Amino acid sequence: MAPVSIVNVTVLQKPVSIPGLMCPFISIQIVATGICGTDDHVLKGSFPNMDYPVIPGHEGAGIVESIGEGVTCVKPGDKVIPLCLPQCGECSSCLNPDTNCCLKTHLYESQNLMPDKTSRFTCKGKQIHHFLWISTFSEYTVMPDSAIARIDDDAPLDKVCLFGCGFSTGYGAAINTAKVKPGSTCAIFGLGGVGLSVVIGCKAAGASRIIGIDINKDKFTKARDLGATECINPQDFKKPIQEVLVEMTGHGVDYSFEVIGRVDTMAAALASCHLSSGTCVMVGAPPLGSQISFDPMLLFTGRTWKGSFIGGWKTKDSIPKLVSGYMEKKFNPDVLITHTLPFDKINEGFELLHSGKR
Amino acid sequence: MSTSGKVIKCKAAVAWEPKKPFSIEEVEVAPPKAHEVRIKILATGICRSDDHVMSGALTVPFPIILGHEAAGVVESVGEGVTCVKPGDKVIPLFIPQCGECSSCVNSKGNLCSKNDLGAARGLMEDGTTRFTCKGKPIHHFIGTSTFTEYTVVHETAVAKIDAVAPLEKVCLIGCGFSTGYGAALNTAKVERGSTCAVFGLGGVGLSVVMGCKAAGASRIIGVDINKDKFTKAKELGATECVNPQDFTKPIEDILMDLTGGEGVDYSFEVIGRTDTMTAALASCHKNYGMSVIVGVPPTASQISYNPMLLFTGRTWKGSIFGGWKSKDSVPKLVADYMGKKFNLDALITHTLPFDKINEGFELLRAGKSIRSVLLF
Repeated sequence: MAPVSIVNVTVLQKPVSIPGLMCPFISIQIVATGICGTDDHVLKGSFPNMDYPVIPGHEGAGIVESIGEGVTCVKPGDKVIPLCLPQCGECSSCLNPDTNCCLKTHLYESQNLMPDKTSRFTCKGKQIHHFLWISTFSEYTVMPDSAIARIDDDAPLDKVCLFGCGFSTGYGAAINTAKVKPGSTCAIFGLGGVGLSVVIGCKAAGASRIIGIDINKDKFTKARDLGATECINPQDFKKPIQEVLVEMTGHGVDYSFEVIGRVDTMAAALASCHLSSGTCVMVGAPPLGSQISFDPMLLFTGRTWKGSFIGGWKTKDSIPKLVSGYMEKKFNPDVLITHTLPFDKINEGFELLHSGKR
Repeated sequence: MSTSGKVIKCKAAVAWEPKKPFSIEEVEVAPPKAHEVRIKILATGICRSDDHVMSGALTVPFPIILGHEAAGVVESVGEGVTCVKPGDKVIPLFIPQCGECSSCVNSKGNLCSKNDLGAARGLMEDGTTRFTCKGKPIHHFIGTSTFTEYTVVHETAVAKIDAVAPLEKVCLIGCGFSTGYGAALNTAKVERGSTCAVFGLGGVGLSVVMGCKAAGASRIIGVDINKDKFTKAKELGATECVNPQDFTKPIEDILMDLTGGEGVDYSFEVIGRTDTMTAALASCHKNYGMSVIVGVPPTASQISYNPMLLFTGRTWKGSIFGGWKSKDSVPKLVADYMGKKFNLDALITHTLPFDKINEGFELLRAGKSIRSVLLF
């Protein structure tokens, strides 16, 4: 895994030239971008279907610099958040009211190039690939209009960039995917930025018990500040963590969330929820090429196991509303931001991520 | 002459060990203790789960009296029983409903903690059995044991039903029909106009088909390696049927092709094999599909699957006894049958005298029957 290189790139904003392919483009100036575990997967080579060299980054906020022909959703000067999960509005997922995984997303069709199969980035004469169409580790970036959302003009971009991924993913996993009910019990495996956002979501939904689980006890204080009622470290116990949780709650939690991305904790999270009425949500992205092994009896007795992608939000519709909610002080993910660095210190930012200090 | 309070000597099919035929024996059935009910069984269905025990796929203690899908009449009750009285028509419940445990109290749960599915102790609550044969204690099966003229169950494991209900038909509400029908209506909550795939077209699979049809599904694709099952599946609502053995591609790819690359809205695994459980998951829509495991998995098995299948948004759920809270629902299902809201008669392909139980199991194993009902 190599560190990222800070280089000068050339960013092209081409007019639409392919007949029949109506895909309006927007060029934006990125003002702030967060570092997410998923970007780290890209650097490690464990994100599926990547093409290198690439400009990663997918949790950003910026200002529209210019727009191509046919763009109506934003204009130059608008504050925007690029969408790591697009919302084309036309595919079967977008048309289904209960789901959000637009079929234009990288999971179905590569987003390493623009829809016209060209790149807008060159560096030292080489073509550089896009990441999830948005590539926010760049002063300027280009994306199609299905991958951008206009937000409040007075939103502080250095804070709301988190709505581009981390906060929305975790908060939505609790509110939309699990649909946590008041008075229920929750267990959250992994207390990073997304895990803490799940805590915020469970608390907003009125859960009575929110049990945070992490092998790094330095994460417990913040988890408790945000709503965790208790925190446990699996390394403090000899028995498997699911047995500990079943004992603590008498019969398993109503909702469990795996917010790490490891197959062993995914199976443990499943076994931690109530055998007949429990729901387990997979939030952490599974490693490329991995397999989970579990006893199907865990499901047979009545449990529900669901995946959750970007918190179940239809992104273009929802992210502006989430930003407005933040502006109205309905929730406050500011506390998730532990470090603010100049862009040139991006590698140091990744070091902090690896060391568990952020 | 009243048998109340006395040991009853009667006929039962005892399974002395796995992988051997049942032995029709004379057994002694002790009177019910406090909070127990002794039932004269009049009709009992043969379910694949009973066969899974005989094949060794499902682990239970031997010797045992199997059978869990039945209907009968209360012979006597133990002290403290108020929910039924002698003469009542009843269905024994392999998932009880105590009303007090976390599953019973939760509106979504139905696996009462008094069940004997997980631990498979094969004993009554006090740790003893009510059956003996040739001097040996014989185990109970999941709180029911219906391959016997008389059985004893806990009061939480019996439901009083309509006095005029035909027991040789409604016995299927004790397991097969309810399990499948409920998987579609309660667990999946199939929506009108949706597409469904049902893996396994036995008695329970056909009940899933009926449930999907009742819910208004627009397409119900039946999947089975035995094409003799297709005619009945289509009569009961399947819009098309496929045999995985007719293709070289995996079945999930075939189902994707059949649905324009989208996958079905709801898939059901109604067999009990880990490979088809994963295939059923992969057959439903990547982002909003739901797959329901209805077939009982083999004891101590493991599924290995790519978590990406779930991460994109699919839902995977298990369903036991169709998600019905048993004691509340079984009487209503019987009443619905009497009111002709559904017709499970088509599931019964063979009716046999109890002594022919082994023949009934042979028919099941040969793929020649859907539900055989044994009559006493």
